[in-house]
This record gives sequence, structure tokens and C-alpha cells, in this order.
Amino acid sequence: MNEPAPEIVVRNLEDTDIGGITALDEKLGGEYRPEVWERRIAYYLRRDPEALVVAEAAGKVVGFMLGEVRSGEFGLEEPTGWIEVLGVDPEVRGQAIGRRMAAQMLEHFRGRGATSVRTLVDETMGDIAEFFGHLGFEPAPLRSFVMTL
Amino acid sequence: MSMTKTYLPKKFHDAVVKWRETYLPDYDFLLEHWDKYFPKDQQFELCAFRELGMCNEIECGEMKGRPKFTRSADMEVKQSGHLLGALKAQASTEFGSIQQHQLTLARAQDEEEQFWILRMMAEEMRHGYQMFHLLLEDQWQQVSDQSGGEMVEEILSMQTGSHILGAFNIDFDSFIDNVTFCALIDRVGKYQLSMQKISAYKPMAESMPQMLREEAFHLAAGVVPLRRWMEKAANDSVYITTDDIQRTLNKWLPRGLEMFGDERGGGTNVRYGLKPLKNAEAQAQYYEEVGKVVHDLNLRYIRARFPRLSATEAESLLERILADGGSVDGISWDELVHMPHREFFRRRGVPAFELPAGMAKSSRMCRPICGTLPSTCPIPIALGGTFVTTSTWSTRYTPAR
Repeated sequence: MNEPAPEIVVRNLEDTDIGGITALDEKLGGEYRPEVWERRIAYYLRRDPEALVVAEAAGKVVGFMLGEVRSGEFGLEEPTGWIEVLGVDPEVRGQAIGRRMAAQMLEHFRGRGATSVRTLVDETMGDIAEFFGHLGFEPAPLRSFVMTL
Repeated sequence: MSMTKTYLPKKFHDAVVKWRETYLPDYDFLLEHWDKYFPKDQQFELCAFRELGMCNEIECGEMKGRPKFTRSADMEVKQSGHLLGALKAQASTEFGSIQQHQLTLARAQDEEEQFWILRMMAEEMRHGYQMFHLLLEDQWQQVSDQSGGEMVEEILSMQTGSHILGAFNIDFDSFIDNVTFCALIDRVGKYQLSMQKISAYKPMAESMPQMLREEAFHLAAGVVPLRRWMEKAANDSVYITTDDIQRTLNKWLPRGLEMFGDERGGGTNVRYGLKPLKNAEAQAQYYEEVGKVVHDLNLRYIRARFPRLSATEAESLLERILADGGSVDGISWDELVHMPHREFFRRRGVPAFELPAGMAKSSRMCRPICGTLPSTCPIPIALGGTFVTTSTWSTRYTPAR
């Protein structure tokens, strides 16, 4: 008989999740980058800890979403929620974890007075674009430009 | 999230500023260099915040469902007394920790880590200011002979040694104390603030959200440097070893456990709607959470020692080392850091009156019982300080000959 799948809990990120997020990032990207996540999570924790979300199953981080509310970015003066990093364990995809994490984060953005939420998606990541599309995101007229220095 | 911002009456605000000039002399330096380490972050301000839109009804205990209190005079006398005790203790811890951090702040090896601690100190001062705001906004005659102003004066006059809770009466010995204190003692703070967020006394509940937001970074200011130091230790740094880190875990975890109060208590706070958890319940959650930190630190160490190991292989190796208690694949149990037992070096609470039978498993922990000071023994004990004279442990403890 199969064991029931562990319950997935969506909650705010804490400092104790750094190791779990590092491990999930390694699983997704193939690179172990503890110093990147230590710095990045310390940054987000001091900015707006209630915006940060993780999904946990049986004590293990299986998803995370980082973002914050900012004003004045790219001439957008109104408070805007920015979803900046997300990851979901491939083994638990298809269980609406990303949607649940986004729901919690967007609720927080609303509470902070944001009336819109933005993100940037790499064109090669069709599944991510599709995910945001399902959430209700639409392509924005603001285009991204880059130049090598 | 919507908040009000207020300031203390001028003479009390000025008193805190004066205190700051003595115990937080790098405050101006912090503000001058704020943008270097915290770009885009709103600059620190000494003020009190109150969250709007919080629950208006008492959330636990015998009065659950009734409107929260906005004045202590409307509370039952014992209930108000418990509240005032918590308020004063909270204020004392905030100012007390700054005095401790200041001792060794200059010994940081890394400027960023130093600035993180400095910011944390400023925010702790704001938390103390927040508690003063509550003491001064209300009347406490029914439970105290002191006025709010006298209480503020008393707390500002406290020094390391005269603070209300034991953890704030111990001198720091090195910058490792600054960081471990954040990871362990501020974590107790997170639990206390989270519990007080549902306080039946509305001004207390409204004070907690912003304090909790700031506390989240304080924990990171502890855990992140500890993680980095485990990597350095794995690479044979001469500045930091796992023994050094273990020593500070041994020093602070027992004090952190005691900050929850006697394991048999806390029921009164729950009944009065001041906190949702009894002492033992909150303490157990805390202990488990610190265990997670320690587990992660060890994984960080193992991955640094053997960069080619995968995450799964590192987990497996850690499990084998912990189960074996000796050396596995070139890493010994003693190289890692370990959770002090719940009963280890306890001065208060149930374990202070019991034989700590569960400690023999850990060689680092059992040596005091055997009569030999371990290298990782907390400094106050190694020096024969207050611990030896106040704890029942002292009756069983025989110094090495």
C-alpha cells in the first residue's frame, strides 16, 4: 500500500530555511551556491520578511518564492509588488504549490498597498511564463534591455 | 500593513538618546554608512510603531472572544501584574543585549557582519523604546508603586548583571558570542514576540508586528555568519573552529531555554489570554528549531570539507557520523557541532533540580559531570563564576584536579 503524500504547508520563510532553499536550488540548477542564498535571504529578511514564502513537506523545503514591494523602480512610482525568485521541487509539481505560494505573497502585497505585481521571465522558460499566465499575469509594455560591458 | 508612529515624551526620548550615547556609541557611524550595507532600506528611526487593523477580541484563555483590553486598569489585577512583568522584562532584555553586544562588537573580522550586528543593536534599542511607550502610555497603579517614568528610569539604569533575565547578565567574550546570541537568544525573542502578538492587552499585540519583522533579520545576522564560519572552520581557518562555535552554543542555549520560564509554568499567561502557549510547549518548539540550525551548520561544514559530495551524500555522511559517534570518512564526531542537552548547565527550571541523566551520550557534554572541564565548557563555568555558586549542579560538579 502506498503511503499518503505528506501534507504541503505554505508558510513564511525563516532563517532556518536557508539550507533547504540552497538544496532545492541545487536540485533545480545543479550548482551548490550556499553563499548566494545566505546573502540573498539575509537581504530579503531585512527588507520584508512577511513577503517571503516557502512550501514545506515533511520538514523539507519543496518550494520558495521571494519578492517585495518597491516604489520608484523604472519610473513606476506607485507601490508595486515584485516576484523575483521562485522554485518548486519537480517531484511535487502539479500540486498547485506555486499557486498557493503566489496567493500568500499577493495577499501580503495587497496589504502593503500594492495595486499591481510584476516579474521578469526568461523567454527560454516557457513553463514559468505559463505559470504566471495562469495566475493572471499579462505581458507588460515594459521591455527588458541588456548590454554586455 | 498600516502603522502609527509615535515618540516618547521629550524627556524620556532624550533619556534614551543619552543612554544610546553611552552604550551604542557607533550609532551615528551606522547611520552615516547605512546606504553602503543597506541600500534602499528605509533608514532607522527611534520611534514606536503600532500596527493597525489587528484582532480586537481576546484570542485564547478564559476570556476568549471578549474585547481586548486597551487599559491595564480594566484588566484583572493579577492579569495586569503578569502583563507588567512581561513588559518590564522585555524592555530590560532589549537594552541589556545592546550592552552585551557593545563589549565585543569591535572584534568582528568582517565589516558586513559587524554592520549587521550594529543595525540589530539599533533595532533592539527601538524595541526597548517600544516597551517604554507602553509603560508610559498607561497607568499601572493597581499593580505597581512605581510610575511608568520610574520604571523607565530603573530599566535605563540597569547594567549587565542587574537585568531581569539571566541571559542578559553574562558578558560576551568574543564576536562569536555576538553572532551566536543572535541565532539563539534572539530566537527566543521571536517566540516571545510571536506569542505576545495575540496578547489580550491590545497595545502589546499592536507593538509586536514591526518588532517581529525586525527580529527576522536579527536571526539571519546570527545564522548567516555561523554558516559562513562553518565553511571557514572546514577549511582550517585559524580564526574560527567548530570548538569555538560549540563553546558558544553551550554557553547560550541553556540560557535561552530558561528564558521561556519554568517548564511547569505558563498556564496563567494562557488563561489570561496573554500568550497562546505554556512555557514547556514553546520551549520544545524552540529546542527543535535550534536543532535544525545545528543540523544545517553541520551540513555546511561537511559540504565545505568534501565539495564533491552531493546534498544527499552529505546528509547520509552526517547521519552516519552522528550514529557512529566516532570518525567516518575522515570527519570525526568531535569536529561537528552538537545540540547541548536540554538539561545541560541549567540554573533555572525543572532540570536545575534533577540529575541530568541524558547527557552521557555527548562527550562534549558529559565531561563536567565526570569532573573534567571540557574545552568547550562555557566561560562562566570554566572561570567558576556565578553558575557554580547558584546552581544545584554545583553540588555534583567537581573541578578537574
